[in-house]
Formats: sequence, C-alpha cells, structure tokens
Amino acid sequence: MTGALDPARRMVLGLAGLVGFFGLWALVAASGLVGKAFLPGPLEVAERLVTLLHTSFAGGTLPQHLASSLQRFSAGYLLAAAVGVPLGLLMGRFRLLDDIVSPLFDALRFIAPIAWVPFAALWFGTGFGGPVLIIFSGAFPPCLLNAYRGARQVEPRYIEAAEMLGTPTHRLILEVLLPAATPSIVAGLRIGAGLGWQSLVGAELIVASTGVGYMMVQAQSGVATATVMVGMAAIGLVGVLIDIALRALEARIHNRLERA
Amino acid sequence: MSSIRFDAVSKSFGAGQVKALDDVDLAIADKEFLAIVGPSGCGKTTCLRLAAGFEFPTSGRVLVGNAEVREPGPDRAVVFQQFALFPWKTVVENIELGLRNRNMPREERRIRVMEAVELIGLNGYEGAYPHQLSGGMQQRVAIARAYVLDPQVLLMDEPFGALDAQTRVVMQEELVRLARRNPRTVLFITHGVEEAVYLADRVAIMTRRPGRLKEIVDVKSIREAEGWERYSRIEDVMDLESFVHLRTHIWRSLREEKTGAAH
Amino acid sequence: MPLGRRSAIGVTTLGLLVLAWFMATGANGLISPGRFPTPADTWTAGLQAMVRGYGDATLVVHVLQSLKLVALGFVVSVAVGVPLGLLMGTSATAEAVLNPVFMLLRPIPPLAWIPLAILWFGLGDTAKIMVIFFAAFVPSVINTQAGVRTIERPLIEAARMLGTPHGRFIREVVVPGAAPMIFTGLRLSLQASWTTLVAAELVGALAGLGHLLNLAQQDLYPGMILVGMICVAIFGALTTALLGLVERRTLTWVRIKGDTA
Repeated sequence: MTGALDPARRMVLGLAGLVGFFGLWALVAASGLVGKAFLPGPLEVAERLVTLLHTSFAGGTLPQHLASSLQRFSAGYLLAAAVGVPLGLLMGRFRLLDDIVSPLFDALRFIAPIAWVPFAALWFGTGFGGPVLIIFSGAFPPCLLNAYRGARQVEPRYIEAAEMLGTPTHRLILEVLLPAATPSIVAGLRIGAGLGWQSLVGAELIVASTGVGYMMVQAQSGVATATVMVGMAAIGLVGVLIDIALRALEARIHNRLERA
Repeated sequence: MSSIRFDAVSKSFGAGQVKALDDVDLAIADKEFLAIVGPSGCGKTTCLRLAAGFEFPTSGRVLVGNAEVREPGPDRAVVFQQFALFPWKTVVENIELGLRNRNMPREERRIRVMEAVELIGLNGYEGAYPHQLSGGMQQRVAIARAYVLDPQVLLMDEPFGALDAQTRVVMQEELVRLARRNPRTVLFITHGVEEAVYLADRVAIMTRRPGRLKEIVDVKSIREAEGWERYSRIEDVMDLESFVHLRTHIWRSLREEKTGAAH
Repeated sequence: MPLGRRSAIGVTTLGLLVLAWFMATGANGLISPGRFPTPADTWTAGLQAMVRGYGDATLVVHVLQSLKLVALGFVVSVAVGVPLGLLMGTSATAEAVLNPVFMLLRPIPPLAWIPLAILWFGLGDTAKIMVIFFAAFVPSVINTQAGVRTIERPLIEAARMLGTPHGRFIREVVVPGAAPMIFTGLRLSLQASWTTLVAAELVGALAGLGHLLNLAQQDLYPGMILVGMICVAIFGALTTALLGLVERRTLTWVRIKGDTA
C-alpha cells in the first residue's frame, strides 16, 4: 500500500525471509529443545531425500511411491474430467438436466471428498479403485462447475445465430459451446487437478499399500520424521509441477483462442 | 497564509520514460480560486496530486503555505472525481472522520457535522449509505467532508466530471455560493472550459504531455468589471459577451495545442 | 421463469432418488446390502449410534467432538490468518519477506501435515487443531491480502488526506474494505477445516465423526458409514449457513448496494 518496492530490494527481503525460515528451523532443531527424532534439521531432511531416491522404504523407493501415486491420480483425474466436462456442458445447454442434476450436486457437495473413503474402500478396495474414487470426488466438482458456468456465459446471440442457421444440437455443443467455454473449462481442470492431488494424499494416508501417502504413514508410525518431511516436500513439488504443466496448457489455449 | 507554489516542478513516472510535468512554475495566492484546464493526459491531475502529497516531484519543489509538501494531510482537503466516499460509512460517519482524527470532542463534532449537512442540503440523509444516494448527492457529501475540516487549501480533481449535465450545473452554482461565503485557496482541475471560466479567478492552460504551463488567463478582473456576480444562474452568466469572449479565447488556445501535437 | 419450477424438479429428483434407494437395496434389488445400506439399515444404525452409542460414545458425543475441533481450529487459523493477511496487504516489506516462505509451504496439501501432526502431538485434540490450522489458515491469509488489494486507491488516499491514524485506518478503512473478500476466505477456511478434520480423524482419533467412519469401515458396517457421512454433510452445511448469516449481518452496507442504486 506504501507503493511498490524496487525488484532488487524485494529480492533481498525475500531471501531474508527464506533464510530466516530455514535458519529458525535449523536453530530449533540444533538447540535440542525438541527431540532430534521429532524435529530433524533441514540438512538431515535433504540427506534423507537423497537416500530415499535409491533406498527402499515401506516397500519402494521414493520415485516408485511417486509413480504409483501418479498412476492413481491420472486415472481418477481423467475420469473426473471425462465425466465432469461433458456433463457440465450439457447442463449448460439443457435446463431440464440442469434442474435435475443441480440439487443432487449441491446436496453431495457438502460431503468432504475424504468422507467417501470408507465407501470407496468398501466398494473398490484399498489398492487402486478406492483411492481413484476419492480423487474423482475431489476433482469432479470444479470440472463440472466450470464447464457449466462456461456454457452458461456464452453470449446468447451466438447460440441464436447457430440455431437460426439450423445447426443440429451435437454440432452446436461441439462447435459453439465448447470453444466458447474453453477458458473456463481449462481453469476448472487446473483447480480440479489441485484438489484431486490433495484428495489422493488423504486417501493414501488412510487406505493404500503403496504411494507417497502410505510411505508417510509408515514413517509416522516408525517415528521417522525426516521421511515424513521428505514425503511432504515431494507431494508439494509434484503438486507444483502438475500446476505448472496445466498453466502452460492454459496459456497455450488462451494464445490460440486469441489469435483465432 | 496558505498560498500554493510550484517551483520549477518536473515529474516523471516509471524509470523516467514518461514525463508528466516539465518545469512548471505556478503560484496560487491565498484565497484564490485557480483552475487548470488542458487535454486529457496533460498532467493536470498530477499537479493536484503533488499539492496533495500523494506524489512527489522528480525535481523542483511544491510549497503550501511556506512549507514543502511531504505527505497528505487535512490542511489540504481533496475532493476526488470518483467521490471516494467510504461505502461502509453513513453520510455522517463519512463527514466526521476527519474531525475524529483531530480528536475533536463529540459534542463539538456533532454541531460541525450538522452545520455541514445543512450547508450542502443533505438533511434527512444523515444515516444513509453512499450507495443509497445519487451521484450528485454523493459528491455533496465529499465536498462537505472536505469543508468540515475548514482546510486552508481545497484541491478538487474534476469533481463534477462523473455527474450528469443537469446535476453538474446545480453543483457548480452551489460551489460558487460556497466559495463566496467562505473563500479558500482552491486548485480546481477540469477539462471543461466553461466550468473553469465560471468558477475560477484565474485559468491556467496546460500543454499536451509533457505538461507545461502555456498561458494563464485572468478571469477575476473581467468578472468584477462586468459584474457577473449580479447573476445567480450559470446560463445567464454564460450568455454574457465577456464570458463568451474569454471562453473562446481559451478554446482557441487549447485547440492550437491539439493541432500542434499532430506534427 | 417461475422459481417454483426449479425447486419442484429438485424435490422430485431427490424424492425419486430416495425411492430408487429403497428399490435398489430392497430384497431383490440390484445392490447388495453389504455394499450400500438399505434405508432400514441406516435407520437402525442411526438409532444405535444415538441411543446405545458406537465406538465408545453416542452420536451426539462424536458430533460435539468434531464440532468443537472444527470451531477451535477455525478460530485459531482465522485469528492468525486474517491479521497476517492484513499485514501482508498493507506493508510491502512484510509482503516481500513473508511471500517466499508462503510460496514454499503453500503447495504442501493440508492433509499431508497429518502424519507430522500425529508424530508431534499424538492422537489428541492438539494434533487435529494443528492440521486444521495448516489447512484453514492459508485461504484466510490469501483472501484477506487480496481483499486489501481490491480497496480502491482513492479511498486509501482519502483516508490519508483526512489524517487518519494508522490503527483507525486499519480498523475503519482496510478491514471493512477487505471484508467481502475476508468472508470469502473464511468460508473456504471453514470448508478446509471440515475436510482436514474428517481426514485427520479417519487417520487416527479417539472420538469424532471421522473416528466413527473409520470404525464403521473396519466393521464393514455400511449403515453406520452412511450415518457418519450424512452427519458430516449436515453439520458442514449448518456451520456454512451460520457463517453466511454472520456475513449478512456484518456487511449490511454491501446488501444495500444491491437494493437501490
């Protein structure tokens, strides 16, 4: 509010913040105020990360656990997008479908995705299917909502023009609604990916026998705090990478639409 | 003494690429009403913002009274183009904030606020929120908020620019009435030539960016000589030959400016 | 468009759904009661949880336990998050120092703090509050900061011009100006509080709705799972509605904006 800082000063202050954070962490860890087992320093966590890259813990190395998490994530996320986006578009086009689905959706939305865990385990087991359902329930709402909102925001004159030209419904949806709603849909896909990834971690903490979440739970019961922290860092990093990838996709689509 | 003085003021924005003001020298006397007119983007608002203390000159000095301007303050009340009323405060709460900041006792404050409400004709709307008022009434509140401070200097940034034509005329007449009753040093920014001639003692014309002072037209001597004060309605004043003459002169000066910029 | 149409269809849909539930899980229905409970099973489970209790406590105790933790966690995160957001929104220096740390910690999903919380504080209330804090505090900070940024510059300049002292400026200009966004943050914080609490209780707890869900899952007791989920949904919705009420009471001037003008 006091005006912008110049970039150099900003960077120095930012570095000071980070150094302060890691310094405080290292200091508290080294001081012995908290037991070493409960608060390893930043360096120990980094060492542990390197070790876990090639050493097995709880049935796999870190890359193996990550691979198995990502596999579940892809399945649940793609399913959510494949169901959510078309359903959202159709709801944006057909009032009856909107009126039928909306109350259901509103009723179910209040159930935190993670509360589906018991049923997910009961129906699809704890290996692959269960966690996939949890990711689905996390990623589905933004996919559906954004496609729906995108379709609703299309200017009526485009639809009227298409109708006047005698465009059949499937073509109207594919060639008018879909392109017009694309920016909103892509934004939804990005939000959905973030929520899906978060839900996956939750699911793996509770029901799974592989994956980063599982690795963390195992580390927790063995009081391997450094491993827990490595898990947190890995989850955060992969989340950021997923987000960066989708942002790039978003930018690309934006560019293409703007040029058109 | 509360004159405003611009001493060889230049102002650049960004890393010096955009020069808004170039070597402006201007003195506004105590209790004088000076209007600055000029094409949009000529830096006239920048002049006001410098006097208010929202911005600072790149070189030169801005003095109010005899002190250099270092920060905004209630001695230089500002009336903004977009009113800038606090939407979550009622009419009275908006007007009295400045007095509370001065730690004025509640009783005295109440009397002052009620006087201001009376003065600008907002009786009955004391408890209303800005959104419930029309644009003209909102700007009345903003003017009351400035007047109640009893400031030495009033800075008005196109205060009627956001109003419809009819409301604007009413507000202009009221401002003249206020200014006569209670003269202040006023710096008034506008792009309306007629408004400037009607309201101001002197009109300063600015050039296109980088803004320089081109000419200062003395209105007061002509107004007094021709007895404009006899007329209370703006359209009667605007019909006077002396008014038309001044207005045309300023328009011409501004237009030369426009064609000049095309080269 | 009559408003009644939409709600009529909605009620009909939900009614048909309940009917389908009865038929599908009935004696010769499609879904085996081992997978999804019949309405009667759910009723029995609900009664059992309320009267005799399930998992060492009655349903009321579980609900109160969860509500207590959500409320505590929410209050703590808001009490830290909103002032921090105000600080980061008003001071460019504070923002420059804190933002990188924030960017570093933000990608870690709230649920990923659960193992660490349990390691540090065990299965008791403290661990749950810590996890809720990490989840709920982020939306409070971000939205408060964004809200401060949305305050129009002339309003800030007007306050400075009027000689407003810093404390009053924060209280009477910054907070109300950012209030609509602050409430958006509070709503998101509340949602995050529920999600993380249920997850944390599922991972390990001695009471609470997540604990009830966890036991029901281990006992392969679909009726009780559904009871637990319904409770999570109802109390999540109720607390959200309560917050909405507070918002409407607080932001009277925003509502007026819609009425007139």
